[in-house]
Amino acid sequence: MSSRYAVLPCNGLDKSVGCIAREIALGLVDRSESDLICPVLFRVSDARYSKMAAEKPLLVIDGCSTRCASKLAAEKGLKVAKKITVTEEVKNRNVKVGKSLKLGDSELELAGSVVEELLKEEKKEESAAGHEFSTITYDYEIYKKDKFIFRVPRTGFYFNENDCWVVVEGNRARVGVADYVQQSLSDIMFFTPPAIGAEIEQFGELGSIESGKAVFEVISPVSGVVTAVNENLISAPELINENPYEKGWIAELELTDFESDKEFLLDFEGYFKVLKRKVDEFHV
Amino acid sequence: MSDEVKIGVVSCSGEDCLGGTISRLATRKMLDEIRPDETVTICLPLFLAGGAEERGFAEAYPTLAVDGCDKLCAKRATEKYSGKVSDAFDVSSLIGKEAAESKPLSTRYLTEEHQEMVNKVAKEIRIRFENILSDYYKNAAQRIKESGNASNCGCGCTCGK
Amino acid sequence: MSSMSKKVKVIPCSGMGKVHGLVAREAALKVVSELCPADAETVCLAYIVTGDDEAKEKIEGAPCLTLDGCPKMCAAKNVELAGGIVKKGYRVVDIFKGHRGVKPGNATALTEEGWLLVDELADKVKENVLELGKEG
Repeated sequence: MSSRYAVLPCNGLDKSVGCIAREIALGLVDRSESDLICPVLFRVSDARYSKMAAEKPLLVIDGCSTRCASKLAAEKGLKVAKKITVTEEVKNRNVKVGKSLKLGDSELELAGSVVEELLKEEKKEESAAGHEFSTITYDYEIYKKDKFIFRVPRTGFYFNENDCWVVVEGNRARVGVADYVQQSLSDIMFFTPPAIGAEIEQFGELGSIESGKAVFEVISPVSGVVTAVNENLISAPELINENPYEKGWIAELELTDFESDKEFLLDFEGYFKVLKRKVDEFHV
Repeated sequence: MSDEVKIGVVSCSGEDCLGGTISRLATRKMLDEIRPDETVTICLPLFLAGGAEERGFAEAYPTLAVDGCDKLCAKRATEKYSGKVSDAFDVSSLIGKEAAESKPLSTRYLTEEHQEMVNKVAKEIRIRFENILSDYYKNAAQRIKESGNASNCGCGCTCGK
Repeated sequence: MSSMSKKVKVIPCSGMGKVHGLVAREAALKVVSELCPADAETVCLAYIVTGDDEAKEKIEGAPCLTLDGCPKMCAAKNVELAGGIVKKGYRVVDIFKGHRGVKPGNATALTEEGWLLVDELADKVKENVLELGKEG
């Protein structure tokens, strides 16, 4: 599968590094399912690109330290998933680029190698992607306490009273922890995954996550065999804090007997009541 | 949402001067010791960077801005992103401009004198905090009284008799 | 004034809510006041974000090292937005990851273990400051 970014280059026309930024953007769009945002049009009218920028992770490509594309993204209130600055790439790769606005071999090679690296990084993320759960919809109900926001997905998710969730598609399940857990733990720094192939009983331990405050054992809502773990969490466990229901998923299992397991699980309404009670009783 | 009243105390980050350090420590004292159940501290960097939780809280609840110097970053930021503060003050009015503008201090080197400053500022925060709470309850009582008067006579009219 | 403008800017997030913010702050203070005061200076993040002219002038186009308490990266993001060149964005959580089980204290006061983390981070930042000074 190929990369899927919304790409916002600076498109700087008066420097070679701006032209290289454009070249990188075009290369990425050509070789993947990424889409291009025209910075000039975006500045004056964001309607055309707002949906794209919301649906795909945003890659900003600046030519130089003026960082026009980064500034534009900030002005429009966009969350930047990844950033490239061509002058930094030149320095880090120890290459020489000319001043001409027409790109020569050296500049094209640089652009090409940046695109290659971006495509490789995306492949690495996708290898941690496990099964494609195409039917999950993320529609959240919110409960607020003081300045803390607790989200609970309204449909498709089941929960146990240990604040762990599961989504099921056919015979496959994906498991993670609820917002209450990541708020309570604060910055999660360590992830101990379960072993691939491990047989897990319902309410058995499915790995653990740890912050400076506490260690939390992930209690599996379902019984099954572990088929995948979210490897991204090993180097970036903070993904659980960022979004525990989407990129912060923990593990996937092949189910043993979901119909029986389901009897002991809560749907959205049941869990939301449990959540409210916990939040009101305990200061997070 | 919970019915308890909470007040957001927005302190400056205070990297440039002692006033900032004192402001920060006094605010933490409110949270840790003085009014732990009613205080919510707003992280100013996160607030400025667009933190939805910090800004959302400051929009919905009363806020008290505590600044370390006359640049009033905490007050201005709260008013810009979440509406009018309920109260605000600059610690230099309590510890003196010269002290407030002196070099920032590491908590490793806090002296008795610095601790006195923290206590003084914390006391001021507490007084203003309690005034905000008191006003909040008065207004709430007034609202209840007004809504109660509208249907006293039982006929569904608003004559209030 | 001209020698000050060549100093590397070391900018902590100083977040109030977590111990990480305090570690960031203390490490920055140690770097600019004890380890390499001639080569580095700090700039208050709040000044930068609220558009203070003096702060903006200090960091625009200047080499900056940001120290963020948590992955939200308030300092790195805002310094870049204001035109600073973030040569490296440090994350305190990454220092913590090398010391599993450590109890550093809280956002008000650090323990002995917390101060060791401050020292470790400050040493890393100092190395970078001195390297940038050679480049500059």
